[in-house]
Amino acid sequence: MNAPVQTAEAREIALAGMGVSRLRKEDARFIQGKGNYVDDIKMPGMLHMDIVRSPLAHARIKKIHKEAALAIPGVHAVLTADDLKPLKLHWMPTLAGDVAAVLADEKVHFQMQEVAIVIADDRYIAADAVEAVEVEYEELPVVVDPYAALQPDAPVIREDLAGKTSGAHGPREHHNHIFTWDAGDKAAADAAFANAPVTVSQHMYYPRVHPCPLETCGCVASFDPVRGDLTTYITSQAPHVVRTVVSLLSGIPESKVRIVSPDIGGGFGNKVGVYPGYVCAIVASIVLGRPVKWVEDRVENISTTAFARDYHMDGELAATPDGKITALRVNVVADHGAFDACADPTKFPAGMFHIVSGSYDIPAAHCSVKGVYTNKAPGGVAYRCSFRVTEAVYLVERMVDVLAQKLGMDKAEIRAKNFIKKEQFPYTSAFGFEYDSGDYHTALKKVLDAVDYPALRAEQAAKRADPNSPTLMGIGLVTFTEVVGAGPSKMCDILGVGMFDSCEIRIHPTGSAIARMGTITQGQGHQTTYAQIIATELGIPSEVIQVEEGDTSTAPYGLGTYGSRSTPVAGAAIALAARKIHAKARKIAAHMLEVNENDLDWEVDRFKVKGDDSKFKTMADVAWQAYHQPPAGMEPGLEAVHYYDPPNFTFPFGIYLCVVDIDRATGETKIRRFYALDDCGTRINPMIIEGQIHGGLTEGFAVAMGQQMPFDAQGNLMGNTLMDYFLPTAVETPKWETDHTVTPSPHHPIGAKGVAESPHVGSIPTFTSAVVDAFAHLGVTHMDMPHNAFRVWKQLKATGQNL
Amino acid sequence: MEVKLDKRYPLDVDPARAWAILGDLKAVAGCMPGAELTEQLSDTSYKGGVKVKVGPAVAQFGGQVDVLEKDEAARKMVLRGKGADKGGSSASMDLSATIEADPANLAASVLHGDAAVIVNGKFAQFGGRMMVQVSDMILAQFVENFRQAALALPAPASQAIAQDAAVAFGGPVEAAPRTAPPVAQEINGMAIVWALIKNWWLGLFGKKV
Repeated sequence: MNAPVQTAEAREIALAGMGVSRLRKEDARFIQGKGNYVDDIKMPGMLHMDIVRSPLAHARIKKIHKEAALAIPGVHAVLTADDLKPLKLHWMPTLAGDVAAVLADEKVHFQMQEVAIVIADDRYIAADAVEAVEVEYEELPVVVDPYAALQPDAPVIREDLAGKTSGAHGPREHHNHIFTWDAGDKAAADAAFANAPVTVSQHMYYPRVHPCPLETCGCVASFDPVRGDLTTYITSQAPHVVRTVVSLLSGIPESKVRIVSPDIGGGFGNKVGVYPGYVCAIVASIVLGRPVKWVEDRVENISTTAFARDYHMDGELAATPDGKITALRVNVVADHGAFDACADPTKFPAGMFHIVSGSYDIPAAHCSVKGVYTNKAPGGVAYRCSFRVTEAVYLVERMVDVLAQKLGMDKAEIRAKNFIKKEQFPYTSAFGFEYDSGDYHTALKKVLDAVDYPALRAEQAAKRADPNSPTLMGIGLVTFTEVVGAGPSKMCDILGVGMFDSCEIRIHPTGSAIARMGTITQGQGHQTTYAQIIATELGIPSEVIQVEEGDTSTAPYGLGTYGSRSTPVAGAAIALAARKIHAKARKIAAHMLEVNENDLDWEVDRFKVKGDDSKFKTMADVAWQAYHQPPAGMEPGLEAVHYYDPPNFTFPFGIYLCVVDIDRATGETKIRRFYALDDCGTRINPMIIEGQIHGGLTEGFAVAMGQQMPFDAQGNLMGNTLMDYFLPTAVETPKWETDHTVTPSPHHPIGAKGVAESPHVGSIPTFTSAVVDAFAHLGVTHMDMPHNAFRVWKQLKATGQNL
Repeated sequence: MEVKLDKRYPLDVDPARAWAILGDLKAVAGCMPGAELTEQLSDTSYKGGVKVKVGPAVAQFGGQVDVLEKDEAARKMVLRGKGADKGGSSASMDLSATIEADPANLAASVLHGDAAVIVNGKFAQFGGRMMVQVSDMILAQFVENFRQAALALPAPASQAIAQDAAVAFGGPVEAAPRTAPPVAQEINGMAIVWALIKNWWLGLFGKKV
């Protein structure tokens, strides 16, 4: 019996390929509590590790007394830096070309630094033993402010670097100075400023924040002393990089190291780095010959694993009197903490900060970033953004507002006036980025029309005129461009490995498939969306395509998932691996149909002979043939691997508008409306995009309105619990309205640009823009985050607006 | 975090008896709720500890107290205390305490304390925002104990004469001599928390606390 004849449209729907809001394949296990996270992993004979941490931010270690801890029944070992020294593992290299202490070696550099580890039969005994380890400290002066750290007589934070006048990124000019990095053309920018009729400047501080994923970091390390191989389950966004690092550090051949990232409960950059806890658990497993589990608690996560931002920025714009920007200058003092452990491509110590010219056609620009050591935890990761893009977008968007205010222009008008025009793409910025595609004017108009912008401004004017209005109304507007998908290996590498990514696809004889990737999902829904790309490329229903990631023993080498690189880089690898298979399949189909390859047309899921719909072979038919009887001389099987080295970054953009009402009595800011238009190029799964945008906007809301990591003068982190650190729930989160335009990337095989980070990057300055706008008529040009009620209330008091 | 305290507590005790307590570090420690000196290291140096209990959680600071200055004439003590607990906190305090005479009333004096307290680690992180209030509560308990201890000392001659005179004239006689009241063996965190809540409510209604 023949199968019922289906139309091409019906078959296309059945594939659930690109453009379909396919339900997430991951959710079935998560909503049933059947996920498999690191802390779910239990191994026979497994021991538990806990860490002795320093209560002081800067101190010399005089003596460590282990005896009392070792005397506790169930304690197997207490290890300090002295124990790691013979293995040369008491220090480790960082991603930024510095070194970091694994366990504090003679002195502690920041509060809660790892001083010793305890290995015990269970987690409780380990915790008790940690309290029994007594450490004698001699306090040293603490410096938590990077400007103070650069004073000539500032305390020396890194004694291990004494005499080193140059670091991984050039000369060091002071004992607490790490690097100074420049981009753009300083002479051209200075010349433009010298002759500019209008200039504005603004200092702003982008506070230290923490990505704070729901799952904290941890690992289970298991060294098999008989086979000499090491398996480690780990919360990592980049398992292959971890494998390379572990092999280099331990001397175990990379082929005997297996790193597995199982289900990951959110990363947001926090799980890119290699932390002392991981190294210690691995060492402990090697020493004891038993599996060792370490999972940090919330306080440890916020206090010690990688933070984000902490940029002190000075921005300047030069412009004509009618608002055309002629030049941009930026100076940044970047607080990197005690070790430079920023996660950036090797050649870019400030990441992609030089995207700071934004969506604007600025002829001359220069930026300079100075990295500084302080007595704070190391880090500097991209918190849901691509390598310092958030800081850059924040700066340029704030500066355009400041300029508009000075000139008395509308925020929307000044942006439209300075946008890179559609016909200018591909556009090379003053910093040298080649923007792939964009259509900012169309997107801006769409947003302004959707919210009826003139009506909002009229309402605001009426409220400003009414001295008895209980609220101040502010309108924020941001028109951002991101740079994601790192990156071309000629520019981007991590520890010398080019930032390509990879995909391996195997079509099974019966026409189902498995794809393995070098990336790792942490909530992005790769198992859903990657299958959709393959479904469209190869005509195999996405339901029968398995996607596997995270196990270095099975997946091809890739640089992992962060910086919105999965779709721009790995997504392209998928498409190109699929196209290799497609090319072979065409040959097989031609052989089966006894025609020339060129006489075949591809339609949804089948090759058909031109002009005869009845003569066709589906991809499933071809797969069977490939394993059963391939054409003479052809290799059997149907699979391909592709390593994709992107020719360029991708440049997603968005237009965000926010309306706030500030209570003049309490300073409480209510987000009345937030309208987010995103353009991420080709859209693979609109439902997942929507979810990603909601998540990113919510995290942006968290950063702008509440998150911060304040330190006191002694280096105590005031706010490392969820009592203090703001993690919005459904209660606090505003309602989001989303919209989109589609401007595909011309250089990407499927035109996709990446999306998950845009809403975070774009929304943060939008909130600030809205809050400041509420005070703009009073001459306020900038307010630093977080815009919590107390800080806004202080601004109300300062401007006489408090009721 | 650092908290600076500059407090003046009027006492209904004459300066001599008040100084007799303040000048004796062991007696002072006896007035501090939860504090004790366990070992004398030198004439001016002691080992000791403070125990704070909040519900089921106990913090036990062990450390050292040094007398940096003792000025009999000015009735002034300068102390430095340093300690740490096993749960990852440490604290230090520089205290200058003086007994000031009250020119208007020979039987009264003022205990003047000027302190800089630095707390590090978990105590600063979790308890930082309550430091000032908790310090106030602890000091209030301390001053009350201090006052009781001083009053329990034999009254100086001049006052004794006055009292005798009162007896001779059939005036009212205060019950004497007093015995020192029992000093709390630890700082009672729950009582502190309750006092904080009470004071916060009073503050809301504009009462001075």
